[in-house]
Amino acid sequence: MVMETDVLIIGAGPAGLAAAYETASRGLDVTIVDESISKGGQLCQQTQILRTLPSPFLAMRGYELANTLINQLDEFSVRYLLGHRMIGTYKDGSIGITDETNVFPVNPKKIIVATGAAEKAVPFPKWTLPGVITVGAAQTLVNRDFVTPGKNAVIIGSSDFAMDVAIQLSDVGVNIIGIVESLPKILARDAEKTEHIMQRSIPLYLRSSIKEARGNGEVEEIDIQFPDRIMTEKVDLVCVDGGRTPILDAFYQLGCSFGFQEELGGWLPQYNEFLQTDCKDVFLAGNAAGISSQGALLITGRIPGVRVCEELNIISKQEAEHERASHWKELENLEAKLFPEKWEARLNHIKNYANPLLKDQFIS
Amino acid sequence: MESSYETVVIGGGVVGNSIAYHLSERYQEGILVLDKKYPMTGTSGSTQAWVWVHNKTPSWYAEFSMYSAELYPYLSKKIGDVEYKRTGGLSPFFAEKDREKAKQLADSYRKIGIKIKVLSREEVLEKEPSINPNVAGATYSSIDGNVNPFRLIDMYMRAAKKNGVQYSTYNKVTSIEKQNGTFMVTSDKKTYVCKNLILAGGTWSRELGNLLGIDIPVNQLRGQIIVTEPLKPFLNYTISGLRQAINGEVLIGYSMEKAGFDRSTTLDVIQETANMAVHYVPSLRKAKIVRAFSGIRAMPEDGFPILGKVPGHENLYVAATHSGVTLSPLIGTLLTELILDGETSVPIDRYSLSRFA
Repeated sequence: MVMETDVLIIGAGPAGLAAAYETASRGLDVTIVDESISKGGQLCQQTQILRTLPSPFLAMRGYELANTLINQLDEFSVRYLLGHRMIGTYKDGSIGITDETNVFPVNPKKIIVATGAAEKAVPFPKWTLPGVITVGAAQTLVNRDFVTPGKNAVIIGSSDFAMDVAIQLSDVGVNIIGIVESLPKILARDAEKTEHIMQRSIPLYLRSSIKEARGNGEVEEIDIQFPDRIMTEKVDLVCVDGGRTPILDAFYQLGCSFGFQEELGGWLPQYNEFLQTDCKDVFLAGNAAGISSQGALLITGRIPGVRVCEELNIISKQEAEHERASHWKELENLEAKLFPEKWEARLNHIKNYANPLLKDQFIS
Repeated sequence: MESSYETVVIGGGVVGNSIAYHLSERYQEGILVLDKKYPMTGTSGSTQAWVWVHNKTPSWYAEFSMYSAELYPYLSKKIGDVEYKRTGGLSPFFAEKDREKAKQLADSYRKIGIKIKVLSREEVLEKEPSINPNVAGATYSSIDGNVNPFRLIDMYMRAAKKNGVQYSTYNKVTSIEKQNGTFMVTSDKKTYVCKNLILAGGTWSRELGNLLGIDIPVNQLRGQIIVTEPLKPFLNYTISGLRQAINGEVLIGYSMEKAGFDRSTTLDVIQETANMAVHYVPSLRKAKIVRAFSGIRAMPEDGFPILGKVPGHENLYVAATHSGVTLSPLIGTLLTELILDGETSVPIDRYSLSRFA
């Protein structure tokens, strides 16, 4: 039996929920698929305050934003398929969704893929030892599962997110032995975070990297390489921050073309100013359209939402154009100032729409 | 890289590589292999890689396949470990009425010296306890098995390179001309001159032939394969449709579709394939599928290999076939004999391109 819906959204994270609001609030029938059993995506375990959110949102903590986005959908026609995954496409173009037992086809008029991002690890000898995890995994363990992942930790990387997690780990009693950064300066843009780290007397090791980890069945020791010496530390937890990269499986299965933008996380689907891929009826939103700040992600959910409504004749062309202009203005405000290189890359990516680096990947 | 060669092989798949290796083994110098992409990116890298003899019909084609399978242990000794396993092959049937057909197959094979047993239900279950207990029987052949296709091609290439064979990859051939008894092969990168030219383009054989005005009737057939997570070793045999790799993954595939060069996968076929696998081996129901891929297979119009000299074109050879993994050791050996000695130890007249004229 085929499930029919106006809009199928893959991913119930911030961008997917924002896209759902744009479409459902205007009367479209919306179905959201998420492999997790809860809505909100990665926001649920984010306890740090998000300061640069688009209107009408004021600064709030990540999980509060998740609740806000979820609650504002309450009164509309939204069908949640939680604990479900998209696993492929049928010959006739319908989307195969599984509940992990059965697979059924969904036939949407439009698809918005908001699959988010995956963390990248930082390889070094013995990086596969248990106890070496990503910073995001450490945060999930602490904030979602209420598990302390270790006693003595080293953090590798000094981005804002790595700093947030260092502070959160320290708050739950993990001894942070140090933050290891290969560059000569801290990457975090929020000076307040660095101050917090200083106040806790957590050492910041610049121009340093991990030479090797050691341990019998789990990480027990690591060598930190400095320009002039090696320091060995006893640890049971190493949290690595290798940045994030868009999750592309769904786009690949749908046959979308791809381009490459280092600043936006590497390979990403080719899209135009409507956040529409080169596959008819397939749109995208959020980190899948380029790694960015929480505020920017919400707007990248609104833009395809507006276009879907326009194509399904729910709103007029004029209204859509007006909405779109204001969303792009706000995206520029949020992204161009804080992350000019991301904004630049995004504009570049859109400019390349007609010339993707990778297309027809299934034609041999 | 120079531009003049004794022999140019177009196509770096399992067939082209085997020919290049076997030629180099006989000390032929000046061999170049051209590939439009890179070895293993096409058919040879998207296969279950059975070395399979039984159920090949008619029996003369099975005999040909058997000779090739017989060469595998010797080949591994020469080029290195290619994870060749002569597991034996089981083709189960689920209806009693199929037993008669199986017996006829066994009879026809016996005449040419291939031993195939028709097993009872109990014998099947004793050999392969994981098979569906509703099985009625199976044909069994001890010569069947499988190989790791990536290792196979890699080892062919390493051995060939050691013997001086050169490779040029991501280099598509765009035109071929014949001048004063030599071939001028123009590619994306360069024009090469050679005495012998071997067309081993697999699925692209028809396109290659067109460059010379020759009709090589090879079509494309898509096969979709699904792969399980690594499971503990539990399948003893290569079963028609599925096999367990050394790393524990089970590769499953039954499909054949006409889809041109489109190697995407579709859930329709993936689900059919999964259902089929569960029918054969019920415990696979619990296995997780970790990926699916398609391979575009070369299928000559009548199903049989196209091998040997191209009629009317001196020093031009063709090798285009389905079951390239099974047949590659033999095809490489025979084409080498044909080029260097002018005749082959196993007759290949039957496989000449002239049969389509």
